[in-house]
Amino acid sequence: MKTTGAVIFAQNNSSVDYVKLAIFAATQIHTFLNIPVSIITDSSDWMLKTYPKESTIFDQIISIENTSTSNQKRFNDGTLSSKFLEWKNLSRNSVYKLTPYERTLVIDSDYIINSSLLSNALFSDHTFQIYKDSVSLSSWRDNTEFKRINQFSIPFYWATTFIFEKTLEVKSFFDIIDYIKSNWQYFRTLYSIEVPTFRNDFAFSIAIHLMNAKTAGMFAQELPGKMLYISDRDLLISIKNKKIKFLIEKENHLGEYTAVSLSDTDVHIMNKLSLSRFIDGGSGV
Amino acid sequence: MSKGFVVLAQNNKNVDYVKQAYALALSIKATQLNVTNISLVTNNRVPKKYKAVFDKIIPIPWNDDATKTQWKIENRWKLYYASPYYETIVLDADMLLLEDIGLWWEYCGNFDIRFCSKIVNYKLENVVDNVHRKTFMANSLPNVYHALHYFKKSDEVADFYKVLEFVVNNWELCYGRVAPNEYQNWLSMDLACAISIEIAGLQDIIDVNSPLQFTHMKSPIQGWTITPESWQDMVSHYLTSTGKLVVGNIAQDKLFHYVEKNFITNNLLEELEEMANGKY
Repeated sequence: MKTTGAVIFAQNNSSVDYVKLAIFAATQIHTFLNIPVSIITDSSDWMLKTYPKESTIFDQIISIENTSTSNQKRFNDGTLSSKFLEWKNLSRNSVYKLTPYERTLVIDSDYIINSSLLSNALFSDHTFQIYKDSVSLSSWRDNTEFKRINQFSIPFYWATTFIFEKTLEVKSFFDIIDYIKSNWQYFRTLYSIEVPTFRNDFAFSIAIHLMNAKTAGMFAQELPGKMLYISDRDLLISIKNKKIKFLIEKENHLGEYTAVSLSDTDVHIMNKLSLSRFIDGGSGV
Repeated sequence: MSKGFVVLAQNNKNVDYVKQAYALALSIKATQLNVTNISLVTNNRVPKKYKAVFDKIIPIPWNDDATKTQWKIENRWKLYYASPYYETIVLDADMLLLEDIGLWWEYCGNFDIRFCSKIVNYKLENVVDNVHRKTFMANSLPNVYHALHYFKKSDEVADFYKVLEFVVNNWELCYGRVAPNEYQNWLSMDLACAISIEIAGLQDIIDVNSPLQFTHMKSPIQGWTITPESWQDMVSHYLTSTGKLVVGNIAQDKLFHYVEKNFITNNLLEELEEMANGKY
């Protein structure tokens, strides 16, 4: 029997406590998928001091170097508030070496497992599974940026959530991501990517394309369903008893929202600040 | 039983279709494992170098009905009679075969006639062409592409081609009767074939399981927010060292319909010659 578990990356910046988000995400994984969860973090000492009791939820705490980068991006918090913060996303490709499991579910700390949807995928025969298709809870927004990495180029895959098994082929995939990361400006130009900052979603999309010999191949199997997400311009209200409530930004009405609720569904909550508030005090608004 | 490809080429003032047919023939020689016969139907002079790759060069049967037109499609219904093969795949000249299509022959061999009714763009997305095919949609006609079809010498197919001959020679009458909505005021083989299928009652030849498919490079169906005059202005293309055609970083497969007449450069022709000679 292959060892199976989940891994969550958590690298704090000055405003977002990713460790706290990871503890919450791990609790959800335990509840719905019943597999061990490990954390990969550059803040392990801080975590053990700040969350001595909560951090016992992790099967293993895997420390990585604190690599401050100049990567910055705008973090919105609903429609009316935003800040530029450091964004540490350069370690994702090292998960192949770091994971203690033979089959690993990797999720971002803001991906909330709220159903058992991924259970079957965890034990399927496919060695690499990832989301390509996604659905925004806001029906009016233009989501073409999540269909292809740009309108002239290849399909977009989400590095937010994926399942892999340690095989030679999958190792090659992560080696390619490493190569893309090391030569990011070249690949960015080759694939006509406008933003200069390295982004895992783009690197994964390019690496999958290369693993498929630049055509429509079968290297990456799609995870079941579609990846649901809310933008960082939307707000989380609460998560309780499988039910998640949101406020979704209205079209053409700045600062106004529509209430939406979901149950028994996994969701990528891009508004990390709202998710953090919910974990702190029970409401993300 | 013989099998082969047939392509019609009639040069006009601007386009050397015989040269395009030569490029297509080279691509067939380079990629096909079993069926490599290709016959060229033309009344134009064929350079000596080109002749070597064609199995047969066949004059257009009967008179040239396209002497007064620029697009020169009036002779295409004659391909059934011109083909020297028992089983034929008809291709447009401005196409390249990029992979072995042995399975197409195998599948189509179960039927008398099969038309392509599926296309993809260079991103390998399935495309429904609602830009150029308004007449098809407005009249609920079968979405067929004459540029890629298969037929076998048989009574059923001979009957179909007789209907096609009638439609091509009386297209204004037939368009008015069968396709009056979004009326198309020029002759096209795709619409003539769709109308012939309707008149002959052969709708069952539209086969969703058929593997016949090609990449269509008309700019408006590439899924871009702007429509350039030439797709080559928007995405680059190259042949890899293993002979793969890559467009916009995406490796193309099977059959590539490049559409634009300046796609076949002398450099590309040289590379295709090397591929056909086994140098790749």
